[in-house]
Amino acid sequence: MSNRPIKITIIEPSLILRSGIIAVLKQIKSIPTEVFDIADLDELKTSPSGQKSELLIACPMISLPAIKKEMSRPDVKCLALLHNLLDGTTLKTYDEAISIYDSAEQIQEKLTKLLSDPLDGESDKKRHESLSQREKEIIVCVIKGMTNKQIADSLNLSSHTVISHRKNIAGKLQIHSTAGLTIYAIVNKLVDLP
Amino acid sequence: MNGKYQESDSMSRLVSENYAALLVMSRFKIALGFGDKSIGEVCRDNRVDGNTFLSVINMSDNALSPEALMDYLHCSHDYFLKYRLPDIRRKLAQVLNEGQDELNKAVLGYFDKFEAEMRKHMNYEDKKVFPYVKALLKNEPAEPCQLIFSKQHEQIECRLTEFKNILIKYYPAQSTNEMNSVLFDIFNCEQDFESHNAVEDRLFLPAIQKLERKNKRPA
Repeated sequence: MSNRPIKITIIEPSLILRSGIIAVLKQIKSIPTEVFDIADLDELKTSPSGQKSELLIACPMISLPAIKKEMSRPDVKCLALLHNLLDGTTLKTYDEAISIYDSAEQIQEKLTKLLSDPLDGESDKKRHESLSQREKEIIVCVIKGMTNKQIADSLNLSSHTVISHRKNIAGKLQIHSTAGLTIYAIVNKLVDLP
Repeated sequence: MNGKYQESDSMSRLVSENYAALLVMSRFKIALGFGDKSIGEVCRDNRVDGNTFLSVINMSDNALSPEALMDYLHCSHDYFLKYRLPDIRRKLAQVLNEGQDELNKAVLGYFDKFEAEMRKHMNYEDKKVFPYVKALLKNEPAEPCQLIFSKQHEQIECRLTEFKNILIKYYPAQSTNEMNSVLFDIFNCEQDFESHNAVEDRLFLPAIQKLERKNKRPA
């Protein structure tokens, strides 16, 4: 894992619990964190900085779908901060739960586990995503028979960027040949037909 | 192919256990209708080198004859170039959607490029590699040629796989049954080609290298 601090949003009405979890997170030296803490949903609405967080730690009494909607991040990883007993169905929507009785080590373990696997899933999803506008432009150039250098010049990119776009295109479509891209482009109407 | 077959095993058992053996048989010009004869008997009846036949079937060097193997490979090339690929192209042209000329031109263009690549590779073997091996067998001076089978095989296999995937993922086929039938043919062709390549990479190439080493030794 890189040393880039992990951006975490904490939503918990109790100031004592909020300060407590922040203090524990600071103790975990192996995971540098940048914490943004608020008391409730209304505060989230007025402060947009929470939207970039990679991790959410929230009081399970606040509606998780509402939080996700407010953050416009349906895929953010969520931990529940437990201070009483809750039924399992509420917790199912969370990726993990921290209890106020957890030790720093237990919390560290949970964070590490959560931070190590989610990114893979995300990049996997990306690979099957549709093409970006730029990638479509590049396909059109490729099937016209342009070289990487020519494409770079006409789109004002570096050759290196063009090559990396082409790699991504091949990865997303599983098509490596120009003849194959031509078929794709016609089917998906990337080129004008006479 | 599973297990090791021997000359005494019955030919019909081999075929029912492994229908891909039919392709091997036709390339050795062995006719059907062999009743309950053993593999050895059928090979003798058809004047086929039994060891080479079993080497190909078992995919193991069974004291094979390079001449017999070359005849086999030559027939196999003919099968792909004169039968398999033209057949797929004809069927494909029939099932392509009407009124999508540009797209269909691109699809057939892809196929033709692939076919040309395969033809070039196989012609090189027929016209350069086989004469070279024949010269080696007679211990005559031979013009050395490049024996880079496996890399080319891999490239051509990838081309065919890509083509198949493009048809599956992107071609908006209207007649599913017909398109499926073409796809089944392509899946089959892919497998045929892989096993053809395995014979060249695992049996033919080592046989050539053995000959080369033998010829280099002072008499």
